[in-house]
Amino acid sequence: MKSIRRQLLAALLGTIFLALLASAYATYRSTLAEVDELFDYQLRQLALSLRDQAFHNTFAPPTENVEEELDFVIQVWSPEGVRVYYSQPHKTLPGLVQIGYNTITTPEGNWRVFATQLNSLVIQVAQPLAVRNAMALKAATHLMIPLCALLPVLSVLIWIVVSRGLAPLDRLAKAVASRSPKALEPLPEQKVPSEVLPVVRSLNDLLGRLAEALAAQKAFIADAAHELRTPIAAMQLQAQLVERAQTEAEAQAAIADLKAGIQRAGHAVRQLLTLARQDPDIAAKPRVSVALAELARSVIGDQIALAAAKDIDLGLASADDRALVLGDTEGLRILLANLVENAVRYTPGGGRVDVHIRCEENGSPSITVDDTGPGIPSKDQARVFDRFFRGEGTTEPGTGLGLAIVKTVADRHGAAVELSNAEPHGLRVKVIFSEFAGV
Amino acid sequence: MRILLVEDDTMIGKSVQTGLKQENYAVDWVRDGVAAELSLGNDTYDLLLLDLGLPRKSGLDVLKSLRAKKNAIPVLILTARDAVADRVKGLDAGADDYLVKPFDLDELSARIRALSRRQAGRAEPVIEHGPIKVNPVSHEVRLNDTLVNLSAREFALLVALLEHPGIPLSRSRLEESIYGWGEEVESNTVEVYIHSLRSKLGKRSIANVRGVGYLIPKDL
Repeated sequence: MKSIRRQLLAALLGTIFLALLASAYATYRSTLAEVDELFDYQLRQLALSLRDQAFHNTFAPPTENVEEELDFVIQVWSPEGVRVYYSQPHKTLPGLVQIGYNTITTPEGNWRVFATQLNSLVIQVAQPLAVRNAMALKAATHLMIPLCALLPVLSVLIWIVVSRGLAPLDRLAKAVASRSPKALEPLPEQKVPSEVLPVVRSLNDLLGRLAEALAAQKAFIADAAHELRTPIAAMQLQAQLVERAQTEAEAQAAIADLKAGIQRAGHAVRQLLTLARQDPDIAAKPRVSVALAELARSVIGDQIALAAAKDIDLGLASADDRALVLGDTEGLRILLANLVENAVRYTPGGGRVDVHIRCEENGSPSITVDDTGPGIPSKDQARVFDRFFRGEGTTEPGTGLGLAIVKTVADRHGAAVELSNAEPHGLRVKVIFSEFAGV
Repeated sequence: MRILLVEDDTMIGKSVQTGLKQENYAVDWVRDGVAAELSLGNDTYDLLLLDLGLPRKSGLDVLKSLRAKKNAIPVLILTARDAVADRVKGLDAGADDYLVKPFDLDELSARIRALSRRQAGRAEPVIEHGPIKVNPVSHEVRLNDTLVNLSAREFALLVALLEHPGIPLSRSRLEESIYGWGEEVESNTVEVYIHSLRSKLGKRSIANVRGVGYLIPKDL
């Protein structure tokens, strides 16, 4: 699992360590330069001090046992190129070089050599460069060691500081974790650092939407329970009338009423389920291209028996096969079925129900259902889409859910539902999909 | 006894009407608040069964304006609203009783009987007047402890008269208490039933006040 604390610790320690290395290298380089300068000066001084002595070929024999190790090597060359003096019997010494400073490579490493002219002799003082490097390295290491020792202390300090910095996140996590599922009030935004504030705000936003959805759900359940009381009350009374019936005819009539009551309750439950399933928060159906005309033919086929029983002329008056909608077939079928069923239900016997599938001038597919029923008074037109709303003076049994279902499905497809009065009387319901619904 | 039923649901309205008719109540049924007020204007009802969620005018508003007009008719609320606050609101608005849907027809009739009993100022369920004893639940009528057989209409007429002993009731009022709307009233029916009641309960049991109506004497 990724841990911000660990990541920060690793990144900070790594950076500090790299900085240490860089500074150690810089120290090494600058020390080396200083040491070079200093030793070059010494080489020169040594050579010059030898020059001012008179050799006169009276060189002392080389000291046999040199206890103290001396880095410097002195050689004196005759004009013929013969080494007339050398201070240390080194195996390999830098050979004769030009006058001045030189750096010579030998099998024993690099040497720094200073040569000067004395009459006809050449005095040469040499020093291995390894000595200088070792000194510079020592200086750099001296700087590195105490700082490296500080690294564990730094890690602990970084750990503590980062933990303190992350404390608001811990507090937020605890505040959310300790909540009961019903506590949906927003989290406090005071005292929250600006880095954590977006998280708190998004959480509050989500909590707000959850609270709304929950409230809507609760209201729907309460409404649904309330609305189911009426059909159940009717069934209870109808069942009692069956019990009480004295004659065969009375019993028959009572049983017929009871059956109608049960049918109504069943219809109410089905409608409630349909509505719950069409809820945009729940339904996430794959979208396919649906041919409205074809769907309308199928829906009309389903409802034709109901219409014929009431002697209503139900038909598809216009069918534009170009009317395609990208949506879910089941939802659109429910929409159409509710519109047609409503029209048939509220149209008196001998009436007419026409379904039109068209493409509007701008190419928007549309469904229109016209009936010759009583229509809906304009003052009620805005409210008929509310769940459980039933118009005044409505004697047809119904749940008040049909148009709410239509609206829910239409909303999900981004379609508008318009009510108007058909000519000469009756209701016209028009569902207009957006221009690009079929794309 | 004549009852006005205000209920917008067809199935419930029809069932209540049928059930109460079987118990010899005359039941008129309207479906909205405005129609209820129009019917109540005639002042011929002994009891009002009122739904609250009504189109055009809510049951509660009907009840309030009814009480504002000093109409003391017993009111039984029939509703799907079962919250305590709703019951309190209904009773405070002037209802005498409150029944939550779904309800039982037997309970509804029992409550109707209790209300009419209270209206008549009686605590006992059995109406006792002189030698006549009427049990509204079992529809039993006894004269000096002897069972008397009465038809449903005769029974309804007798109960109507017994609710107001000593007060004459007009022929039309008596007709209303035994017939609901749409039921055909034959001429002289009231006279026919009065005649048969007199023959079953004794000539003195029902008196006639000429030009006013019939009554059961206060001290029989």
